[in-house]
Amino acid sequence: MTATAPAAPPRTGAPGDGGPDAPRALRVWRSARTPVAVVTALVVVSVLLSLGTERFPTGYLEPGSVSPDGTRALVEVLGEDRDVDVVRSSAAAGEAVARAGGDAVLVVTLDHRLLPSELEELAALDTDTVLVQPSVASLAAFAPGVEVTGREVPDNILEYGFAPECGLPAAEAAGNATVGGELYSAPAGADATGCYPGGSGDALLRVEDGGTATTVLGTGTPLTNTALDTGGNAALAMNLMAADDVVWLRPDPPRQEGSATLWELVPPGLRWSLVPLVATLLLLALWRGRRMGALVPEALPVVVRASETTEGRAGLYQARKARDRAAYALRSGFLERTVPKLGLSAETAPEAVVETVAARTGDDPGHLRALLYPDGHDPYAADDDALVRLADELDERTRRLR
Amino acid sequence: MVVTGRAVLLAFLATVAVALSGLVGAWAAVAALVLLALLLVADVCLAASPAALRLSRDGDSSLRLGDSAVVHVTLANPTRRRLRGSVRDAWPPSSHAAPRGQPVRVDAGERRRVTTTLTPSRRGDARAAGVTVRTIGPLGLAGRQRTLTAPWTVRTLPPFHSRRHLPGKLSRLRELEGQHTAMVRGQGSEFDSLRDYVPGDDVRSIDWRATARNDGVVVRTWRPERDRRILIVLDTGRTSAGRVGDTPRLDHAMDAALLLAALAGRAGDRVDFMAYDRRTRAQVRSSGKGSQVNRIVEAMAPLEAELVESDPAGLVGTVLGTQGRSRRLVVLLTDLNAAALEEGLLPRLPLLTSRHLLLVAAVRDPAVDGMAGERGGADALYRAAAAERTLSERRRVTAELRRLGVEVVDADPEHIAPALADAYINLKAQGRL
Repeated sequence: MTATAPAAPPRTGAPGDGGPDAPRALRVWRSARTPVAVVTALVVVSVLLSLGTERFPTGYLEPGSVSPDGTRALVEVLGEDRDVDVVRSSAAAGEAVARAGGDAVLVVTLDHRLLPSELEELAALDTDTVLVQPSVASLAAFAPGVEVTGREVPDNILEYGFAPECGLPAAEAAGNATVGGELYSAPAGADATGCYPGGSGDALLRVEDGGTATTVLGTGTPLTNTALDTGGNAALAMNLMAADDVVWLRPDPPRQEGSATLWELVPPGLRWSLVPLVATLLLLALWRGRRMGALVPEALPVVVRASETTEGRAGLYQARKARDRAAYALRSGFLERTVPKLGLSAETAPEAVVETVAARTGDDPGHLRALLYPDGHDPYAADDDALVRLADELDERTRRLR
Repeated sequence: MVVTGRAVLLAFLATVAVALSGLVGAWAAVAALVLLALLLVADVCLAASPAALRLSRDGDSSLRLGDSAVVHVTLANPTRRRLRGSVRDAWPPSSHAAPRGQPVRVDAGERRRVTTTLTPSRRGDARAAGVTVRTIGPLGLAGRQRTLTAPWTVRTLPPFHSRRHLPGKLSRLRELEGQHTAMVRGQGSEFDSLRDYVPGDDVRSIDWRATARNDGVVVRTWRPERDRRILIVLDTGRTSAGRVGDTPRLDHAMDAALLLAALAGRAGDRVDFMAYDRRTRAQVRSSGKGSQVNRIVEAMAPLEAELVESDPAGLVGTVLGTQGRSRRLVVLLTDLNAAALEEGLLPRLPLLTSRHLLLVAAVRDPAVDGMAGERGGADALYRAAAAERTLSERRRVTAELRRLGVEVVDADPEHIAPALADAYINLKAQGRL
């Protein structure tokens, strides 16, 4: 079955002139080519710009991030003399620790993203652990009994830091560090060493439990790119992660499962009623939009005000402040109206006109001469007030001559 | 295809039903759509076909501006179905056709008349645009629509407002012909008859020969010339497009021309009419005696001002060439526009005035007169000066025309028609025709 092409519309203009008679495709192309060119240019430029830049992940304590709160600097330094595994889930962390064999340190950041069961699994790994600002659940899993006893963030922590004031070699060797934040205290009887004491606890707490040690750090600040070169931060971090393998766990946010969207909660009948609703709206549009026959065009004659040219001239006079021309027009109007009434002809000499008008109105002929026939300098065209005076005087003469 | 509000209501009810249907929603939606579509299609198919209608027209074909015309369309339904629906007889917007649409019912084989009233707001020809017939099916849900052609033209004639001046001017004309004949013994007056002397008659009009043959004293009576030819020329160039008051200058000129034509027709003169800008737009030649007013009105109706400069050379050539050779009164209705007249008409006037008597009539704009009287502040004076300048040019052109032996009538829209009639009567009284 073949469709026959519709007959081409009759063309009256020359083909390809781009006018209203050009083929439809050509007209569409001509009107669309500018937007298409602009969009193409924008895409090309943005692609070229993005080619030169490397994308880094961002986020707090993100090992790949180069932003101030990232830890790319520390991970790079660690990577110089030991293996660093960056993992994103507890399962991967477990595998990495197992792969590393005995000598490994597990660094756990953002552990509030981990489920309790995952925390239990991690705590069961037989390895040293560094917890960075752990959650309560995490503390309970890794170092039972340790409690958060306070929170202290000194204003100038980045400049001075805390003194270690303890017997932990890692901290003693590092010296002052910008720790702070949450403070912890170990339960009585535990094999714990607290360092960097604040008001109500220690900012760094190391709990030995059997063969493994759990180090709790109150804040991640010393590890970040900004603070790493301040005081003993770098040394402290290196000392805490002193092992052949460092497994850096920064879990991804847990994915939601099993929740229903609003759409799924709507009863199916209501959902399906959208289909007839659309049909209803279409019918409504057709009902209201269908016109009783086409619009009737009508050619209307062009009609302008007959006084348009006069008003245009008035506007020009006003715009250019053409007082001389205005004064001339007012005077000649007065003379043309008055002179025939005085029994004089239009060709009468100015002197005769002045004489006759003066005789009738009793004006001074010299003043009248200046009023009606100024020679050279016209005092009535000096400014707008003079022009108003001229009109008033002419009107006054008209009244007297009546 | 059209749908009605009833179809929309049905679709909405179907929507509600589907919404309440619960778990079988999908099936309900499909069923509702299919049912709705079936009903609509059935109704469209069962509606009477509008294309099968036979249309015929009758009614008024011309009216004066300001009146209303009634136009009928007769719908004949030759099908075997009853036609139910509505009809719209479409006219251009300025015709103000009412009603816009009306319900109609034509039984099978019957015919029905639909009436539309036109109240045009504009002079000229209005052509019927088409008759739109919408038929609705028996369920009242949907139907068909088709626009059919039924050509008809209604001509709106100039209103001829100045008709009210006609009785007064006619009585003046009768005074010329009647008892005051003796008073108007001018050159060229025609001998009419002899009658008995009545005290008060001019003794100079006593015909002594006739008196000698009769018992009493007999006077000669004259009457104004009859069977003179008058050519009314309407300038439809750009200057006539100007609006004076609410009406274009052209319409004021038409009004004055109609009064003159009516008056001259009653006075026994032959009136020709011509509208000209760069070519002849309309022309009426007198054929024998009788009033030409109706023919002139017909010729005027479709005239509109053209936005071109008038061609005075062509105008003079047309007046001199195509019309008869005898002397006539040429009445030119135009504008006393200094630039247009001085460059165009004045140099060619001697040709015309050597053979004919020319009368130029122009509508003056009261707005310009009002502007010339504006006072108070410099801005008002600039306007007054501009108006004075326009008036001054007008006076100059008028003086120049009069110097060349042309009669000039220059009056505002209210008075142009009677002023032109007066000028004609005066010319007639002076025997200058």
